[in-house]
Amino acid sequence: MKVFRSHILICGGTGCQATGSPKVKQALAAELDRQGLADEIKIVETGCNGFCAMGPIMVVYPDGIIYMMVQPEDVPELVEEHLLKGRPVERLFYKEPSTEESIPLMHEIPFFAHQELRVLRNKGLIDPEVIDEYIARDGYAGMAKALTKMTSEEIIKEMLDSGIRGRGGAGFPTGLKWKFAAQSVNDVKYVLCNADEGDPGAFMDRSVLEADPHAVLEGMIIAAKAIGAHKGYIYCRAEYPLALRRLDVAITQAREYGLLGENILDTGFDFDLEVYQGAGAFVCGEETALMTSIEGNRGMPRPRPPFPAVAGLWQKPSVLNNVETMASIGQIIAKGSEWFASVGNETSKGTKVFALTGDVNNVGLVEVPMGTSLGTIVYDIGGGIPNGKKFKAAQLGGPSGGMIPIQHLNAPIDYESVAKLGAIMGSGGLIVMNEDMCPVDMARFFMDFCQDESCGKCTPCREGTKRMLEILTNICEGRGKEGDIETLIEMADIIKDSALCGLGQTAPNPVLSTIRYFRDEYEAHIRDKHCSAGVCAALFKSPCQNACPIGMDVPQYMALVRAKRFDDAYKIMMRTNPFPAICGRVCDHQCQSKCRRGTLDEALAIKFVKRFITDNADRPAVNSVPVDRNEKIAIVGAGPSGLTAAKDLALRGYQVTVFEELPEPGGMTRYGIPSYRLPRDILAGEIDDIRALGVEIKCNTRVGREISFEDVDKKYDYIYLAPGAHKSQRMRVDGEDIAGVFGGVEFLRDFNINKDAWLNGEKTLGAKVAVIGGGNCAIDAARCAVRLGADVTILYRRTRQDMPAAGEEIIAAEHEGITIEYFVAPKKIVEANGKVSGITCERMKAGDFDNSGRRRPVVIEGSNFTLDVDAVIASIGQAPDLSFVPEGSDVSVNKWEYFDIAEGSKSRTTSDKFFAGGDAVTGPWTVVGAIAAGHQAAEDIDSAIRSRNSEPPWEAPAKEIIDIPFEIDEETEEQPQAAMPELDAVERKTNFREVELGYEIEKAIKEASRCLRCDAEV
Amino acid sequence: MDLEYDELLKEFSQEQIKELDGIIEKHRGQPGGLIPVLERAQELLGFLPVPVQKRVGRELGIPVSHVYGVVTFYSFFTMHPRGKHTAKVCLGTACYVRGGKKIAANMEKLLGIKEGETTSDRMFTYETVRCLGACGLGPVVVVDNDIHGRVKPDKLKDILQQYS
Amino acid sequence: MAKLKIEDLKKIKERVQGETALRAGTRRVKVTVHMGTCGIAAGAREVMDSLMNEIEESGVTDVVVATSGCMSLCSREPEVTIEILDQDPIVYEFMDQNKMRQVFKRHVLEGEIQTPFVLARAKRQN
Repeated sequence: MKVFRSHILICGGTGCQATGSPKVKQALAAELDRQGLADEIKIVETGCNGFCAMGPIMVVYPDGIIYMMVQPEDVPELVEEHLLKGRPVERLFYKEPSTEESIPLMHEIPFFAHQELRVLRNKGLIDPEVIDEYIARDGYAGMAKALTKMTSEEIIKEMLDSGIRGRGGAGFPTGLKWKFAAQSVNDVKYVLCNADEGDPGAFMDRSVLEADPHAVLEGMIIAAKAIGAHKGYIYCRAEYPLALRRLDVAITQAREYGLLGENILDTGFDFDLEVYQGAGAFVCGEETALMTSIEGNRGMPRPRPPFPAVAGLWQKPSVLNNVETMASIGQIIAKGSEWFASVGNETSKGTKVFALTGDVNNVGLVEVPMGTSLGTIVYDIGGGIPNGKKFKAAQLGGPSGGMIPIQHLNAPIDYESVAKLGAIMGSGGLIVMNEDMCPVDMARFFMDFCQDESCGKCTPCREGTKRMLEILTNICEGRGKEGDIETLIEMADIIKDSALCGLGQTAPNPVLSTIRYFRDEYEAHIRDKHCSAGVCAALFKSPCQNACPIGMDVPQYMALVRAKRFDDAYKIMMRTNPFPAICGRVCDHQCQSKCRRGTLDEALAIKFVKRFITDNADRPAVNSVPVDRNEKIAIVGAGPSGLTAAKDLALRGYQVTVFEELPEPGGMTRYGIPSYRLPRDILAGEIDDIRALGVEIKCNTRVGREISFEDVDKKYDYIYLAPGAHKSQRMRVDGEDIAGVFGGVEFLRDFNINKDAWLNGEKTLGAKVAVIGGGNCAIDAARCAVRLGADVTILYRRTRQDMPAAGEEIIAAEHEGITIEYFVAPKKIVEANGKVSGITCERMKAGDFDNSGRRRPVVIEGSNFTLDVDAVIASIGQAPDLSFVPEGSDVSVNKWEYFDIAEGSKSRTTSDKFFAGGDAVTGPWTVVGAIAAGHQAAEDIDSAIRSRNSEPPWEAPAKEIIDIPFEIDEETEEQPQAAMPELDAVERKTNFREVELGYEIEKAIKEASRCLRCDAEV
Repeated sequence: MDLEYDELLKEFSQEQIKELDGIIEKHRGQPGGLIPVLERAQELLGFLPVPVQKRVGRELGIPVSHVYGVVTFYSFFTMHPRGKHTAKVCLGTACYVRGGKKIAANMEKLLGIKEGETTSDRMFTYETVRCLGACGLGPVVVVDNDIHGRVKPDKLKDILQQYS
Repeated sequence: MAKLKIEDLKKIKERVQGETALRAGTRRVKVTVHMGTCGIAAGAREVMDSLMNEIEESGVTDVVVATSGCMSLCSREPEVTIEILDQDPIVYEFMDQNKMRQVFKRHVLEGEIQTPFVLARAKRQN
């Protein structure tokens, strides 16, 4: 026996080979030789380790330390430091994406820790080309038991008792399949293994064949004994050269050992098998098509019955199982059915291997007990979604399967639950998709696949998939029409019922599943020609413009900045946005999350460039517009939504009056957003432009107080209701009404109205303040409180990743010395002398997933603690105050205190003359969202008037022609976003000066030049 | 017979034809032997034009129509000559969602050919494939047997330049 | 190669398990040879060689060998630490091939600490 003090296991799976493991192995062997360690340390090349995204993977035993992404250059250091001096090399450890923590030990990495390895028990642990290593891990013990101690009936009973169901797709009980084949009387029978793994995104079988090929052979021999077969085939796709080679090696070794061939283990049982190389046809994964293919024909399915158990390959009784099923069998026989059934749930026993891919941090192979929740797989094992994007859905079962959307992250993954959700288990391809996935495009993709792979034998599949693909392509390219969705559903049902084989019968599944969960997106494609994910390129010019609620033409003004034509850039922005200076400071910039530059290095700083333009160009002159329309329009609320509608309507010649309850116009931008983010002169400037058009803004005038709702109704022809959401939601804890407890928006409003009183100390929060909540309003309140001299702690009941506030705001708050405590929720406000003296909180932990895909916080019992504070600002959400709408009004308000919008309209309320929009309809949203609602309302009001007057629709006056230069770089160099200069935290936290200072000219031009000009047709 | 042989000689050498005959001989009489023969033949000859199909059919006693049917059914077989290198862009789901579509568009632009075509200098044949099972590395481009993972659209040129 | 019989499977298993045991994580004793530059200069490699020979000859499968860097007691190299499960680690100093053989046979296999060579008893780290 040769003893080594250390074994180095290098992954030799396809994934790691592609990233360079053979070179690492070579370098390692050379280095061990050079250091004279070749006799002490053994190198073993294993099959796929499963953590493919991190390859090449290397594990050093006995320590169990795992290294990721090892390159040949790393080898000398590894040998010198770890193998010689025993100091593991930390820079090659795994880093947990969420915490950045380095984890050296394989079994401590969450990706591995949550798995239950059964089928994959030997992955990365044995050398797949050495049969002895398999035997040492109890390999062939199940086969020995089956051949020597069990009858055919006993084997089948064990299989039935275990409850194992086919891992290849449909989940038919394996024992039952065997039983039927065993009952068929025939001298010749076949055992077939389906290794034609063709589902895009699935690679479990490849991995098993590469890492543990003998397990498959063992399963097949047991199956052969059970049904009385002596000949087998493994049908393996030609695209898997490494798997084919490992199979060849394994079969040769097994034959040499007498584990295949005649008189196996001297038991008198004969069985031999051949590998049959598939020639690239997806349909050959279907059992009857696979058999037709082995017979040397076009691989087309046959009608069933007769079933393969009766008349399969060459019309002989045959059993076909897939690789994963076969690889499970040896252990079921060796360890017993009870062992197998000890994990899993009621109807789905054992474990299942998934190929976890797509938009997930830890891509790789994952084996978990049946019934494990989707969220556990995606988040605990998969490490969540990269780049701060949001989970949208997981596709399970490939082109035959369906999607499981975000609201079902708690769903247990087993055959029945998955089917109920409209997906199928399939062979276990699990593709995670983030917010950038377009369900219509995905359905089109899968239909294209099925249409392409349809063998053409039966009409429903051959023609049906083609027609469905046509419809889907039309929808994706902007030619969708009403009724398309219904036609798709109808065709899907027909194909499901009438196609000959599984390929056709399941081909419509992705379409049905996406319609089921994302019908609104289908409708948006058809009706508004809008793809919110920014995928269907025919529907938009550039993804940034597509993502912007008001469709700002970003590439145009970037091009103009690059050409130093800042005045023209300003004009372009004003075409769609009445408040570019405000948006340049406070927009949530959805555009940047879709910026294609982000896939290269970092998204463009669109918001910052926008601000630069407004800081450095002259504001386009505004002239008053003569009133030439008869209808008078009132707008309730002078926030961005109301003022946008006012501007649009004034431009169309209407007389517009805006009623505002507060002393100044601006709404949340004036009374919510603090001046250190949005200086008041900037705000006032843009609002003055709207007045200059001829719009009258009546401040200090609340409808229902200074002027009655009925008066407004009487005096004006059309009314736009945009009062916003200015009322904080209550925490519903004891002591909420004690003096010193503020609502977030109420505090900000009071501060902005009575700024002097707050600044000179007439009004005060006290020395210590707790802010409850994790939204932008909470951060605004906290940063204001800091500026008033308070020591501020934010308490949030979930994790940082779950905070709705903008990431940059959270960081700015931390820089200003604000402490943020996560997983803390308020329980009770403590009172002393009639005012707040503290807040009792509970600690929380992550529970299951809610509909938003975030983990629900769950109280940790007995974790109460009390913080001494002088004030509590509760900022856990806002609601509109719609009490000005009289009872019995035609304008209906729903139970959540929002306006109801009439069916089929985007802004009309239940009354024909009242329209509504902004936060009072959507709930607290963004400035740009409010602007969009204002545009919509103006358009709808104008259309309503013109259609009532039988006038043609409004025609926008001809736009000034602004030539847009087209200049892009030949070579794109990687270059991150230009940083925004800002006031130092120490300097800014004592005053309300603007924190962000704006780009200098050179910086802005450089930043704008990073634009890839996705709008251009090259 | 001689006519057919001459046709074969236009594309292939006598040695190659002899080897082809050897392959056919090895599988003669074996049930289901047609597909393995075609697989080996394509490995040897690079593609399977009609004259090759005729020879295989006649020698195995299978109608040429059947051989043709099989060749055209499976995506692995090709009837046209191929480039010195095969560049494949994976459009399996995992690669697709990670930007495979853009890679494919760039490939067309760079090579100036459409999917399934070969450049006029017979240097590259460009294909798209459905999932190579290297989903962990998506988007993936495979040139010959080298898998290039995590490919960004503007790095494609560098990859192709490695092959000549 | 001869065709296997049932009992052969067991034999192969036992034989190979010895070789692969260290991947399974079962261990009774951990022997650490300190291989800093000074240790190697003082003969740590030779100590390691004889340790490996001893393990091979004895056929034990529950002893793992580790290396570590300098213990910063360079003057007493080569040093070897023996850690038996649930016992405090023992550090030996001025090791050579003979001492290593003796420590292996008496301490590692039989549990008898070879006091004359001992540098220190360390604290267990859990």
